[in-house]
Amino acid sequence: MTSTAAAAVAKAAPPPRRGRRRTVLRVLPALLLTALALAGPWLAPHAIDAPVVAPYAEPGGDAPLGGDQLGRDVLSRVLAGGRELVVTSLLVAVLVTAVAAVLGAVSALRPAVGRVVERTADVLMLLPAVLGILLVTLSWPDGGRLAVVTASVVLGVPYAVRLVAGAAAPVAASGYVEAAAVGGERLGYLVVREVLPNLRATLLALFGLRFVAAVYLVATAGFLQVGPQPPAADWALMIRENSAGIVLNPWAVLAPSIAIGLLAMSVNLAAAALVPTTGRKAVPAL
Amino acid sequence: MAGSLTRGEPAAASGPRPVPAVLRTALYAAGVLAHRILLLAVLLAAVFAAVELLPGDAADATSERGESAADLAARRHLLGLDRPVAERFWDWMTGLPTGDLGTSARGEPVADLLAHPFPNTLLLGGLALLVTLVASVAFGCWAAARPGGPLDRGVSASATGILALPEFVVAVALVLVFALWTDWLPAVTLTDADGSPASWEMLVLPVLALAIPQIGWNTRIVRAALADEAKAPHIETAVLDGLPRHRVLTHHLLPGALPTIAAGIATSTGMLLGGAVVVETIFNYPGIGSVLAGAVADRDSPVIAGVVAVTGAVITGVLLLADLVRAWASGGRT
Repeated sequence: MTSTAAAAVAKAAPPPRRGRRRTVLRVLPALLLTALALAGPWLAPHAIDAPVVAPYAEPGGDAPLGGDQLGRDVLSRVLAGGRELVVTSLLVAVLVTAVAAVLGAVSALRPAVGRVVERTADVLMLLPAVLGILLVTLSWPDGGRLAVVTASVVLGVPYAVRLVAGAAAPVAASGYVEAAAVGGERLGYLVVREVLPNLRATLLALFGLRFVAAVYLVATAGFLQVGPQPPAADWALMIRENSAGIVLNPWAVLAPSIAIGLLAMSVNLAAAALVPTTGRKAVPAL
Repeated sequence: MAGSLTRGEPAAASGPRPVPAVLRTALYAAGVLAHRILLLAVLLAAVFAAVELLPGDAADATSERGESAADLAARRHLLGLDRPVAERFWDWMTGLPTGDLGTSARGEPVADLLAHPFPNTLLLGGLALLVTLVASVAFGCWAAARPGGPLDRGVSASATGILALPEFVVAVALVLVFALWTDWLPAVTLTDADGSPASWEMLVLPVLALAIPQIGWNTRIVRAALADEAKAPHIETAVLDGLPRHRVLTHHLLPGALPTIAAGIATSTGMLLGGAVVVETIFNYPGIGSVLAGAVADRDSPVIAGVVAVTGAVITGVLLLADLVRAWASGGRT
């Protein structure tokens, strides 16, 4: 890697030593919570679909957080209900970041592609993400989780490409990339070998931001009942199903709400810590 | 006085005639308007294509168990789904400006379905936008007043914390605290005979649930815009001139940051209208959320397409306002 490239990403590189330890501290809660959500189904003391207590039973005895609308153990369902949300959101974040990385680098190297991406983002700004996801899932009734993932990726990519293209522009204009282009290297080589390796910090931050956005979208889809279907244990679905009994056993609603809230906040904290520059760009575009 | 002013003008215009500022602004506005309308038309075409290209149509969605293929074909014909795609696309797109949003899977005009709920949603979203604007400017200024201090860090950290919360999580927390534990505010919305909310108290919790994540988002934007603006040389001059802190803020910092703040608030509109769908479901608010909930149950994509068309038009309007604020703030220089 040439010194020009090092200069181009110097601004993006995380500050050394003390800054790095603080970043780790801020990323840790998100990692722990994600691990807990992934391991949760194995920790559940009861089956997620078998009644254990009376419907909306208060906490106590066999069910530390009481029962839900069918008398199923709330604690077990909360422990089991995060895995699909986290896995789906991670999948969306990985896909959006990968597609945006390639498209963003191409836009920086080929301005015509960049303009098309810009216009697409302008158009999608008029479509609230929640409505977009409803539109796709309803027009594609058998799509299930694939429909939710597809809609989230399509809605997320244009903004993500903007961010990558912005960060890739100085790299693409640097001498060594121009030299490689003049030397007859093909576009694919320039993108994968010359531009993207210089954008690691930006891409890591982008991944964090897209994970935040994906948690929001996937959870909201679950709440609107276009994601996981009953009797699946899903935090968003639990909130929807049990809100009628909120007076009888608030924990059936409160526990999954706290789980989603903690996940959203910790992931966002981690994403904010990873963002190389502060200021307006630090605000994730959902 | 007025005479001297009018006499002065021809003299000023005798040189190489500049385009009058008013005309320049009008031209700019017309250009922006055309651009925005074009973007909206492209979105609507994409929405129609999505409904069309994805598997399953409105006749499938409403089919009942054991319905014969002939019945299905008959209803498809009734809904006009057997006509060529290009013809239906033309009908749908040309119908939109006249307020015809197409037909739902149950055969009702989508425009009729939305006629009462949509104004309620606009009321909810508009109030939430107002609360967001006031609160985020207040918090942003408050934090910017002592840059780097504990208050600044506290406001910024809380803003970051809440901006990613889904609206339904905020709504659950609000219902538990303000409706169930303290019993200060109603948890559900009751409606009048005309279908609007029965009292203002019923609007408080839905508006807050919608606004809180957006306040987090916009506080950061306001804070960042003020920080950028504070670096400008004329601000330094104003501070060195000994102007009081609040006067620098209200007369120098805020006007400069206005275009950025307007753009941030404008992008919140989409989030607010999307979030309204969720919040309305929780509070049983009589807006498009309830129409969409029914559409979800019926798998009724024409209704969703109609809602997307109307919200897209509203967002276009707000973005247009933000464009004009920017043009006005920069004195027609853009």
